[in-house]
Amino acid sequence: MKAYFSVFRLRRRLETQYRGAALGGIICQIFFGLVLIALYRTLYVGKPQTLPLSHITTYVWLQQAFFRMLVASDADLMDKIRTGGIAYDLCRPISLYGFYYARILAQKLMGSLLRAVPMLVFAALLPEGWGIVLPASLPALLCSLAALIIGLFCVSALENITMAFTMRTLDSRGMQAMLNLLMMIFAGNILPLTLFPDSWQPIISALPYAQLLDAPIRLFTGEYALSQAGLILLRQGAWTAALVMLGRFMWQRNQRHLVVQGG
Amino acid sequence: MNTVRLYIKSMAILMKSQLQYPLSFALQTLAQLVMEGGELLAVILLIDRFDRLNQWTPGNLYFFFGLMSVSFYITECFGRGITGAFPSMVRSGQLDTLLLRPRGILTQVLCSAIDPRRIACIAVGAVSLVIGSRMSQIAWTPVKALLLAESVFCSFWLILGLFMIEAILCIHSVKSVELANTLTYGGRSACQYPIDTYPQPLRVLFTVVAPFALVMHVPASHILGKPLFAWPLWTAFAAPLTGFVLFGIMYLLFRQALRFYRSTGN
Repeated sequence: MKAYFSVFRLRRRLETQYRGAALGGIICQIFFGLVLIALYRTLYVGKPQTLPLSHITTYVWLQQAFFRMLVASDADLMDKIRTGGIAYDLCRPISLYGFYYARILAQKLMGSLLRAVPMLVFAALLPEGWGIVLPASLPALLCSLAALIIGLFCVSALENITMAFTMRTLDSRGMQAMLNLLMMIFAGNILPLTLFPDSWQPIISALPYAQLLDAPIRLFTGEYALSQAGLILLRQGAWTAALVMLGRFMWQRNQRHLVVQGG
Repeated sequence: MNTVRLYIKSMAILMKSQLQYPLSFALQTLAQLVMEGGELLAVILLIDRFDRLNQWTPGNLYFFFGLMSVSFYITECFGRGITGAFPSMVRSGQLDTLLLRPRGILTQVLCSAIDPRRIACIAVGAVSLVIGSRMSQIAWTPVKALLLAESVFCSFWLILGLFMIEAILCIHSVKSVELANTLTYGGRSACQYPIDTYPQPLRVLFTVVAPFALVMHVPASHILGKPLFAWPLWTAFAAPLTGFVLFGIMYLLFRQALRFYRSTGN
């Protein structure tokens, strides 16, 4: 266990090195957030919805702020698989899955925290109807933080499953792009899940993708009542456990069939 | 003319090399199809919930979306040398070899890459255009067809010009600059909806700085029979020319930047 913690720590430090790149990313994300909110505002003028506009703006800002949590992926691992460098990792006396799980977890955590804090401050300063609103209540905030942490574990498990597909073929950019796209749509990044048709809600909110950011956001805005919170956290936990088990199984299978490229 | 022949020839060679791995190519093209399909799905779902956007009916919105997809991805397909490959050419020093050859740098850069996978995105855009045109019941006339062709053609140069900002910046600073994305990809996301959706600052940005509104929305609104800001027909023909103006400015800046180019070695 200690080994995984030190991998996590090292990776966390590495991720905080690129602050300049983060700033460019933040401005980009803020711009996208403003464009989306402008669009939803105009749509709301035409046909007001039961869900207040402030929920939608909060949803957009939280999605933009934690964008890195969804998209960060381990480029080193892809290179290692292509060049055969993975052989060195196989020599380590720890589980390969655990090693890369700790790495991706650190990368996603630091990558998103580094960007989320300044962005949320900016979003909080925006006027009513554009910015982020306060959470529904203090317990709602705490529940949503807990949900966010489980979501982080869940997205790391998903990322490792995507990686398991990568290992099977040398050039899996197609496969990877498709899995990432599914995530972007059903995690609520392209369009808030709350704006999907009402009849779709029971299905899309039960999918693993909704456990990443959608569940924490809905707890934050109070759309999920506190009485439901226990169940939602349980659903998130169950998906995370299932995805970790599936990922471990896939990695172990792949390891047995692994062909190391070159020397 | 020689330049055009050279370009077509390089494109043919590059196509052949891309198709050497058919399975990988097919999967990546499929991924592009799903990606652009996802964008279209977002528009469909929004229309399902909100019915309309200002005075624009669902058909109108599909038309605007299609116009943006077709133009943007034609640029990404044929302008790949600028839109995707250029920063790495600067970083790796590959640009040096181009400087030695007796052809224009921009010609060579454009001849160096193509991205045929984008054909899937162009197809999604075209389907959206057709559906949008049917639903809006556009009565097509030669004038309208000409307007559409001009709009797509000028959009190509506009978007290429915007991508050149990144190219120019990366000559000066080697590292690619993410900030330039706000105008290119940000412009794509924002301007797949008509410009009057947005508040004043964004309107100014996409009319004066990156004139998507002039190149796409003004002619498209005339085709749909709902002229933006009640501008007369001749403006619909004149406005897209701003795409060329922007490209011209960027071309001059690009040449200027190349004088400061310092090789990274190798």
